[in-house]
Amino acid sequence: MFEATGINQQNDQTQKRFKMLFGVMMVILIIPVIIIIGTLIYKGGPSISWSFIFDHPTNGMTQGGIFPALFGTVWLVVVSLLASVPLGVAAAIYLSEYAPDNLLTRLINLATINLAGVPSIVHALFGVGAFVVFFRFGTSILAASLTLAIMTLPVVIVSSWEALQSVPRSFREACWNMGATRWQTIWNVVLPNAYTGILTGVILQVSRAAGETAPIMFTGAAMFLPFLPNSVFDQTMALALHLFVVATQVPDVPESLPFGVALVLVGIVLIMNFFAIWIRMRLRGKKKW
Amino acid sequence: MVNHKIEVRNLAIAYGGKQALGNVTLEVYENEIFGIIGPANSGKTSFLNAVNRMDMMRPNMDVTGTIRINGLDTRSWRNVYDLRRKIGVVFPLPVGLPLTVYDNVALAPRMAGTAGSKNNLDELVERCLRRAALWDEVKDRLNHLGSLLSGGQQQRLTIARALSQSPEILMLDEFSIAVDPVTTMRIEDVLKELKSEMTIILVTNLVQQANRLADRTAFFLNGECVEIGDTESLFNGDAKDARTNDYIGGKFG
Repeated sequence: MFEATGINQQNDQTQKRFKMLFGVMMVILIIPVIIIIGTLIYKGGPSISWSFIFDHPTNGMTQGGIFPALFGTVWLVVVSLLASVPLGVAAAIYLSEYAPDNLLTRLINLATINLAGVPSIVHALFGVGAFVVFFRFGTSILAASLTLAIMTLPVVIVSSWEALQSVPRSFREACWNMGATRWQTIWNVVLPNAYTGILTGVILQVSRAAGETAPIMFTGAAMFLPFLPNSVFDQTMALALHLFVVATQVPDVPESLPFGVALVLVGIVLIMNFFAIWIRMRLRGKKKW
Repeated sequence: MVNHKIEVRNLAIAYGGKQALGNVTLEVYENEIFGIIGPANSGKTSFLNAVNRMDMMRPNMDVTGTIRINGLDTRSWRNVYDLRRKIGVVFPLPVGLPLTVYDNVALAPRMAGTAGSKNNLDELVERCLRRAALWDEVKDRLNHLGSLLSGGQQQRLTIARALSQSPEILMLDEFSIAVDPVTTMRIEDVLKELKSEMTIILVTNLVQQANRLADRTAFFLNGECVEIGDTESLFNGDAKDARTNDYIGGKFG
């Protein structure tokens, strides 16, 4: 009575074929990742040591460690996040919760999405003009971080906006009906349910800010500095630029050095991401609907 | 002389120029259950939204005419938040906010700044949950997520939340749509008790529910208030309008 008939068997076959197809796609996509990480570990692994991470570069950057670059990258990422996250989330809250749904709002949304596609070198030139020259920050961590922040803002705004929009409207209505103001509703009901989505956007931008070379090259990152920066108005070294320099600009660099730098860069991004993912998981554990 | 809790005069509601409800004039008496019946798209929910001034949150909703609560035009209330606190609302689909059961009920008093001491709030939460006939089922898991309760429980949680600010008016919009018959009957019993303390507007698509609960009933059809009358006489075939008779008699809708 319940035996599979022709059409059922056919459906079953189709379903198996699609499952296969998607599985194969997944494997194809994951192969490059494995090769990249594998190469980095294989070639760069041997150069990783305590002194590689915590010493300054020596002998025209062909020997020694990378600590100033590592230190600088962390600085740049943290300062840029301090600027882009509050600004981006605030803009997203305005666009999602307060702005009337009219042509202007839609244009702003569209412009924001387009801004995310602007090449990073364009942001770099903007950073030089705006922060280095106009605001007179000079080439400094502040100028470089703000340039990175401008670059990452669109994605922070768009992903935060999407996170806010995904909170069901019925939650807002229920809250308004209790006599809550818009801000009380946002603070008590909307934001707590959007944190995880907002953090996803931030996680993506951590990697981007840490990995970009162009925006910081003209605005605050130096090829080589004998000292660590003292304040946000100093220049700094950065891992991404350091990698570019040791890989292409400096002669007689041992082959393992650039791979080691790349491995550390990937590692630091992973650590920052895991931290954000950990926060997200803790928040997600508390909020469910 | 009965006390008019709500007076509605020539109310019309339009969305982006398209009329959803027109020319409604009615009174809701204090401490009665006022039923509103009618098929979908007849303007019932729009009516509720106009009463607690939710049109402010919807840019394309235009309300004309006057609604008076306690004799005061709702539009002259400077503080609409205060107005909304006097009105509890229950939606068709239960909205358990993703907060704990306790916080779901405590949220409104906290936001209004009337929560008081911890003991005070504990008592309030228990009282609201008891009145919504939910306390016995959740008293051991007040810190579980309200959004993970069953549908029927969430709907009673929504009622508890609506009661948390001791409203003068309780508006229920087709509350039984997503609730099983047993829970529906329990909520109906709750409403009969609450009637002594507040005025209840019961929008329902179940004609028999209006018959069971409402003191007076209004029949809305296609954006028009066709008839208002004592529930008993309406259901005994004394309706003046033939459409009311047809709807109640189950000829359409």
